[in-house]
Amino acid sequence: MDPQGIKNWFTAPMLVSFLVFGTMPFWIEAIGLYQYLGLEVMIWVIFALAVNLLLGYTGLPSFGHGAFLGIGAYAFGLTQFNVAANLWISLLGAVAVTAVLGGLVAAFISHRRGIYFALMTIACAQIFFFIASKWTDVTGGEDGLLNIARLPIDLGLAEISIKSNFNLYYLCFAAYVIIVAGMWRLVHSPFGKVISAIKQNDSRVAFLGYNVWLYKWLIFTLSCAVSGLAGALFAMAQEGAYINIMSLQWSGIVILIVLIGGGFISFWGPVLGVIFYFLARDILGAYTEAWLLWFGLTFMVMVMFKPEGLAGIWQDGQAMFGRRKAAVEPCPEPNHAGGD
Amino acid sequence: MVDFFLGLLPHLLNGVALGLLFALLSLGFMLIIGVMEVINLAHGSLFALGAYFAVMLMGQDGGLPFAFMQAYYDLPAIPRYIIALIVAPALVAVVGMGLEICLRRTYGKDPLYGLLLTFGAALVLEEIIREIWGPAEYFLPLPKAIRGGFFFGDMIYSNYRIFAAVFAMAMIGLLWAFLNRTPYGAVIKAGAHDSEMVRVLGYNLSRLRLFVFAFGAALAAIAGIVMAPIWGVRPHVGVDAVIPAFVVIVLGGVGSFWGAVSAGLLVGMVVALTAAFLTEWSLLSMYLLLLVVVTFRSRGFAGKASALKA
Repeated sequence: MDPQGIKNWFTAPMLVSFLVFGTMPFWIEAIGLYQYLGLEVMIWVIFALAVNLLLGYTGLPSFGHGAFLGIGAYAFGLTQFNVAANLWISLLGAVAVTAVLGGLVAAFISHRRGIYFALMTIACAQIFFFIASKWTDVTGGEDGLLNIARLPIDLGLAEISIKSNFNLYYLCFAAYVIIVAGMWRLVHSPFGKVISAIKQNDSRVAFLGYNVWLYKWLIFTLSCAVSGLAGALFAMAQEGAYINIMSLQWSGIVILIVLIGGGFISFWGPVLGVIFYFLARDILGAYTEAWLLWFGLTFMVMVMFKPEGLAGIWQDGQAMFGRRKAAVEPCPEPNHAGGD
Repeated sequence: MVDFFLGLLPHLLNGVALGLLFALLSLGFMLIIGVMEVINLAHGSLFALGAYFAVMLMGQDGGLPFAFMQAYYDLPAIPRYIIALIVAPALVAVVGMGLEICLRRTYGKDPLYGLLLTFGAALVLEEIIREIWGPAEYFLPLPKAIRGGFFFGDMIYSNYRIFAAVFAMAMIGLLWAFLNRTPYGAVIKAGAHDSEMVRVLGYNLSRLRLFVFAFGAALAAIAGIVMAPIWGVRPHVGVDAVIPAFVVIVLGGVGSFWGAVSAGLLVGMVVALTAAFLTEWSLLSMYLLLLVVVTFRSRGFAGKASALKA
């Protein structure tokens, strides 16, 4: 690959994020945190990136995405119990089931945008939630699907156990590397330009001859598939699949995370948002039970005064110190907010 | 056959009561959309908040633990209920004003911001409710006069459903009179038609918006109080309430008063009839209805271009 080609695939912030996340298990305990937190961060980063593909890049507010995280978790468990107790097959099952259900939902809602789109996603998510809570034979209902195993990584010749949080973390990190690299290419590909154009003005995109419905359908299905992967990893982390992640509250929290991080203007917004969320949970949560309330209020203040989020504040800081003259623009250009 | 329809009657009555309450809720939702062009996703939370304030004002297990409230809780139930019906919506109106002040920064921007802000507000209000009242379900105590039921034919009818239907009808009538027979109503209607023009004519648009939002919030609260004995009072009830409001608005068309009332009745009937035959799934019917309506008839029955083109 020539240097330009490498530049297309990897950027400085991406490498910083790989470095930080790649070494995290070695220093996370030294700064007073714990291994499981790293696992949660990694999984939610993947989920938040999937949500931002819709919210930040395509301008489609999916307010019910938690449902797909849950479907991925249930599908992972069910494949493991009923098809084959193999990690790859179970992961594939989770992604495939979520993609199919996501594609089905997308077929209903891809001709919508804005408020209608948001409410349709809420309605679909609630329907999945009701089904998951009532179909006790399959999903375990309110108790959830218990005893989902952390299956070993089967490499043909050797097997690596991921029973420890440390090892499972590196599986999630590998997924993160693949997802980030793939998504970065995707949003900078011609396909990515079209979805950004749909965000700005979908009628114009349609006049240019693009099939807007199909693009929306594809991006929604893809986002669901990635959410399903995150759900499968979450099922392994929790060693179970529970109904609560499908609730509207969790769907709402991921929107909050993406926006606070700055998903509207930066690829790295969701990453910042997830780190902010989990640090807030552990630090604020130590002082008050009502930390989610304060997090929600932070979100409201952010929407009012700085809808560009943490990434926007970072860019403002850079502009102030003269490294970059241009003010913040609502376009999906990368900034240099690393994953720190 | 006759027996079947007679058996259906109580459920139809439930449907009418639900439908009229949905209509009341949606009319507030519609006023806010009309004047502010904001889809208030927190409308259901204001509805829930109204119910919780009423529980607080009715006393018993949801009451305030202060000594000075004790004398008040010793009042007979009827005056307390009337006070709850007046004070709780007023308190919610104040909350609504706070929300409108927050919303000001999103006017004129991408409607997505208004949506995100009210969505955040809905989560925050739900968290506040959980903090204050906890996750448990409350039941609104009622005065004796509107409790219980009576027999008509072989079927038992709930007194409360009749009270709810009559009360909602009276409120809808009052609202209609207010909007159509008073100068204030004329300004609100003009604001919904063209708010810039209202400003040009010398009215204080900010104050109008503040008032309309508070008014819409109070209507949601009233619907919440009257609905409380039917649905129960849970922190999550807000989400279940914002969906019918939206379905009603889409079906009835924004800006159509009687459209909202008839759509409200229709939605109420659907929910009540599913509740009669498939109790477990009655809330699900609302979401299915939303999917069907938005998929096939997003311009509403009136066929006008929707003002919800967010």
